[in-house]
Amino acid sequence: MIVEDVLCPFCGCLCDDIRVEVEDDRITKVNRACRLGASKIRGHERIKAPMVREDGELVETSYEEAYRRAAQILYQAKRPLLYGWCSTVCEAHKKGILLAEEVGGVIDSTATVCHGPSIIGIEEKGLAGATLGQVKNRADLIVFWGSNPAEAHPRHSLRYSTNARGKFTEGGRSDKKVIVVDVRKTRSSKNADKFLQIRPGTDYEVISALRMIVGGNGDLLPERVAGISKDDLVDAAEMMKAARFGAFFFGLGLTHSRGSYKNIDNGLSLVNELNSHTKFMIMPMRGHYNVSGFGQVCAWETGYPMAVDFSRGFPYFNPGETAACDVLANGEADAALVVAADPASNFPRSVVEKLAEIPVVQIDPFENPTTLISDVVIPSAVAGVEVEGTAYRMDGLSLRMKKLVTSSYPSDEEVLDGIIEEVRRLGDDN
Amino acid sequence: MREIAIVPLQEFEVPLEAENIRPDLFATLSLEEIRDLEVWEGNRKRVLSDLFSVADDDGTGECLIRLDGDFSRVKRIGEGMREGKILVRGNVGMRAGSGMHGGSMQIEGDAGDWLGREMRGGSINVKGNAGNYVGSRYWGERCGMRGGEIKIEGSAGAYLGDHICGGRIVVKGDAGDFPGASNRGGAITIGGDAHLPGAEMVSGAIVVKGRARVLPSYGFQETAEIEGKLLWKFVGDLVEKGKGELYVALVEDDGQLDK
Amino acid sequence: MIIKGGIVYDPTNGIFGEEMDIFLDGGKVVEEAKGEEIDAQGLLVMPGGVDAHTHIAGTKVNTGRIMRPEDARSGLEPKTKILRPCTGYTVPNCYAIGYRYARMGYTTVFEAATPILEARHTHEELEEIPIVDKGALTLFGSNWEVLECVRDGDLDKLAAYVAWGLRASRGYGVKVVNPGGGEAWGFGGNVKGLDDPVPNFDTTPREIIRGLVKANEMLNLPHSVHLHTNNLGKPGNYTTALETLDIVKDIAPTRDRQVLHVTHMQFSSYGGTGWRDFKSEAPQIAEYFNRNDHVTMDMGQLIFGNATTMTADAPLEYSNARLLHAKWSNHDIELEESSGVVPLVYGRKMPINAIQWAIGLELALLTESPWKTLLTTDHPNGGPFVNYPEVITLLMSGAKREEEMATLHELVAKRTVLPTIEREMDWGDIAVMTRAAPAKVLGLAEKGHLGVGADADVTVYDLRPEKIDPARDHKRVKEALGRVKYTIKGGEVVVRDGEIVAVPRGRTYWVDASVPEKDAERVQADLVDKFDKYYSIQKSNYMVQDAYVTNPVVVKAGVI
Ligand code: SF4
Ligand SMILES: [Zn+2]
Repeated sequence: MIVEDVLCPFCGCLCDDIRVEVEDDRITKVNRACRLGASKIRGHERIKAPMVREDGELVETSYEEAYRRAAQILYQAKRPLLYGWCSTVCEAHKKGILLAEEVGGVIDSTATVCHGPSIIGIEEKGLAGATLGQVKNRADLIVFWGSNPAEAHPRHSLRYSTNARGKFTEGGRSDKKVIVVDVRKTRSSKNADKFLQIRPGTDYEVISALRMIVGGNGDLLPERVAGISKDDLVDAAEMMKAARFGAFFFGLGLTHSRGSYKNIDNGLSLVNELNSHTKFMIMPMRGHYNVSGFGQVCAWETGYPMAVDFSRGFPYFNPGETAACDVLANGEADAALVVAADPASNFPRSVVEKLAEIPVVQIDPFENPTTLISDVVIPSAVAGVEVEGTAYRMDGLSLRMKKLVTSSYPSDEEVLDGIIEEVRRLGDDN
Repeated sequence: MREIAIVPLQEFEVPLEAENIRPDLFATLSLEEIRDLEVWEGNRKRVLSDLFSVADDDGTGECLIRLDGDFSRVKRIGEGMREGKILVRGNVGMRAGSGMHGGSMQIEGDAGDWLGREMRGGSINVKGNAGNYVGSRYWGERCGMRGGEIKIEGSAGAYLGDHICGGRIVVKGDAGDFPGASNRGGAITIGGDAHLPGAEMVSGAIVVKGRARVLPSYGFQETAEIEGKLLWKFVGDLVEKGKGELYVALVEDDGQLDK
Repeated sequence: MIIKGGIVYDPTNGIFGEEMDIFLDGGKVVEEAKGEEIDAQGLLVMPGGVDAHTHIAGTKVNTGRIMRPEDARSGLEPKTKILRPCTGYTVPNCYAIGYRYARMGYTTVFEAATPILEARHTHEELEEIPIVDKGALTLFGSNWEVLECVRDGDLDKLAAYVAWGLRASRGYGVKVVNPGGGEAWGFGGNVKGLDDPVPNFDTTPREIIRGLVKANEMLNLPHSVHLHTNNLGKPGNYTTALETLDIVKDIAPTRDRQVLHVTHMQFSSYGGTGWRDFKSEAPQIAEYFNRNDHVTMDMGQLIFGNATTMTADAPLEYSNARLLHAKWSNHDIELEESSGVVPLVYGRKMPINAIQWAIGLELALLTESPWKTLLTTDHPNGGPFVNYPEVITLLMSGAKREEEMATLHELVAKRTVLPTIEREMDWGDIAVMTRAAPAKVLGLAEKGHLGVGADADVTVYDLRPEKIDPARDHKRVKEALGRVKYTIKGGEVVVRDGEIVAVPRGRTYWVDASVPEKDAERVQADLVDKFDKYYSIQKSNYMVQDAYVTNPVVVKAGVI
């Protein structure tokens, strides 16, 4: 059987044109996806059964027992953290938020280690965005700042940005100009018409300089800013102003360099001001396929897109205090639930050490380094391959993931339901 | 003077939220009532006496709260207080004195993040260091501190006085990145070094007596003498058509002063 | 269930303040029923409230939440045994929306603007809003397929596309915002009037409006076209509004309702040549409505304090943001629309805001028939919906208006006629503006009234209409309107004494309109081409799946 128009459950491009061949309920061929996506869809070795840690060893157990143990850990905790959510569907996010309410926990997504600062920037300034198709049809100037789609979002260029063809961009790449700003040469910078190689940690200053030029104050700038000559900056700013439709994509190179959310804040202002001259949009290059979806669900359910603390019964939001990294780094969390993520690989070492000290419940189809520090491990079906559900593309567009093959594992949603039920039972007993 | 002394009974496994520890509230309550005030230990509701010993000297007049011991995991002390005094004989946790309107807080140790967030009046003195976001705003709001004074003998973290709209912050030591960002009328003095002060400042003043990197969107004006020190004076942030004043003793590279 | 002894206002059925019992059974109003008795002796009873224009779900609303943590920190309500926690004032979370409407006695609310491409998101949020029934209007005013059909004068194809778009979005009606402007904004432009051509598409706002109104009537849709005028929010725009009202006058509606609903008219009733001589032209607009019966409007009343403006009129939002130096979000939707979100504060002492506030009231008070003027604040553009009690008391009490005006910038007396208006509305007028008329305008036969067969949605206010004078006791009235005695939804008590006591799931209305096969096929051929070349997703992934509308009411319409 051939399934057409499958969504790829890997990166924030959320390509929806994948063609998958299925025989005997097994995936035999994946077409059109990039290598990252294809390998995710094909899958690899799974966690076989639920496990709980006994005398230091993970031993297999039943789902019922795993739910019970997970519920005990979360229910007893005074400050449980419910973390992850980037690689599962929104239906699971909703259950996660409900569970966080029930146990008075802090819920946060992997944005805390990727585009959390971008969201904070948006809270300061708002975001001039567009769907990716708008970029495809109209953009004649693409800026990649601290992002390297050639490596991290392989089909971005062809489907949406530099090489895409649309109504007003029929010539594809030849109709467009590309500016890359980064601290080093990358595969993406090779494809650029203009490359600004800036000194690490100077993004904010460079953006301010561009704002000065766009605002007509370029003459007040010094001859060099952060290693870039004023002429180069003026040139880049003029390219931006001359565009008919500009698109500014930024990645972790901007959000995680010195300046953090202030870099984004400044970038958002630059784009805002460019709209006085032409049309311009800006978008974070979200990494995992549905980290954006968690932000959406969390916002409509709690009012905040991440880092929500339910310990007082209503949502409190304060990144720097209530983000997953903060709660762990400050030694506040006394238990953790990790769903569809791998903090043991993605958090700074000192934070991982803190995580290792507290009881951890993991829900994931696949083993990863977080499994090693988990006390309860609950395997689940692969969202977007074995279960249907909703995901949000990096531009905030919602799409429905397909089910390609049946799974003997419960979905993340079902697992969370199982835990919620046990938590409620504990609540009723007390 | 009525003095209430509070001492932790234990080390706290998870942080507490204790916004009820404020002198203007205590002043209206008996010792028994104070002991019964709500405190949150993570997601558990407790009363003050579950976690602290509370003693009252039965004095009269203005209320002083003396916090003896380590309060570094106790958040929101003195939040919104309008009068009276708090003396912390140790460290204090996050959001101390946030939304404070009046009275004073003396911290002998270090203060956590968000000290005096959205403060309106009163004074806070820290003998040690303070964390990030001192005197800042809450996310998305237009104004941080609007009045009062924060003094820090040691150093402060990043985002000092973010969106400050009034009042005064003095740090003897260094400040971190982006002090006085989006300043709209506050006054900040930093004894040591800072990085990119006054980003998007509209009005107000920032003085850095040590070294700082200055944004390219600041215009150099002249030299000026402040408290006996010769400083470079800049005006900005020009990306916001700002008229804020920035004084820096030592300007970091990139030929900022060539022009 | 029997609601006993209430003083009932049910304008649709000609009932204005009669003491009577209401019988409910099986989720409907019936002739006779047994069971639980609700003691409403002497209390004001109305059908459940209907909001025909509010922004409560979808990308724009969630963008508002994401960019405004400072808004979420107000309006906190902790979780209870049956309630999810609530946050927010101008952009409340989904639960707060359902609970707060129910506490005011509202049981049906319609989201006013959804692009087809992002309708899945809208429905995800609608599904999470508890208690109330809902629906969403679908945006068509800058959609490429629409522009091309209008340009080619192909009304059959246009109607077929509209039918398909409603199905694809699970939408209820045709919403048009600043027609053509969304497309122009794709390259940073706008259209400046009804005859200003839409760049690259060789058509005009006038043609788009007429085309869509005709298509709407060809499809016999329950609701008329729902229009946000061109030039909205700009001084002097009342001429555009009047002209717009006139250009559809010759088109006959196929149902017993208006042929065009112009929304949040307050924002389209401005005089002056700029902000300096900005003034109200509400009397001219109201006079037009008094002389003509083919159109309806809603107020879009302004409320002082915080608001979050959000509209598919993206160029307007950019100019708002620049003017006020406010946060600005924009969102363009490929081939379909654009939109913007800007938070702002309406100040009593700001001359423009004070005049805007007066204009909304003038429109309602100067338009003789309350059936033509629905009560809205264009939540959260004019202000949050929780302020409806405030608006109602302003309409009912001249004394209250005077008290308010005394706190406003004095230009309100010079640039509006509000101080000269003596009209004080009665409960009948209010029941029309908040129940009967919105249901009629939307074409919801079973809503907004209490006749046999109507949905068992009832509000019982803790007010004795025979004892209280709303003109004088407006404080008490406002309080009671915000905290009803009972809200009954689908025959179930959901609010008692201002508290939520049950949280049923609401239903979602959408319209399935049939069209001739040959037209449907022509549309499909166009769409295959558009998805192939222009959309960034596959056609098969476009339409909202049934999984997102789990409790639907499908209203049939169409040409065959
Ligand atoms: S670009 Fe991203 S979404 Fe597309 S196929 Fe590759 S990994 Fe999947
Ligand atoms: Zn509206």
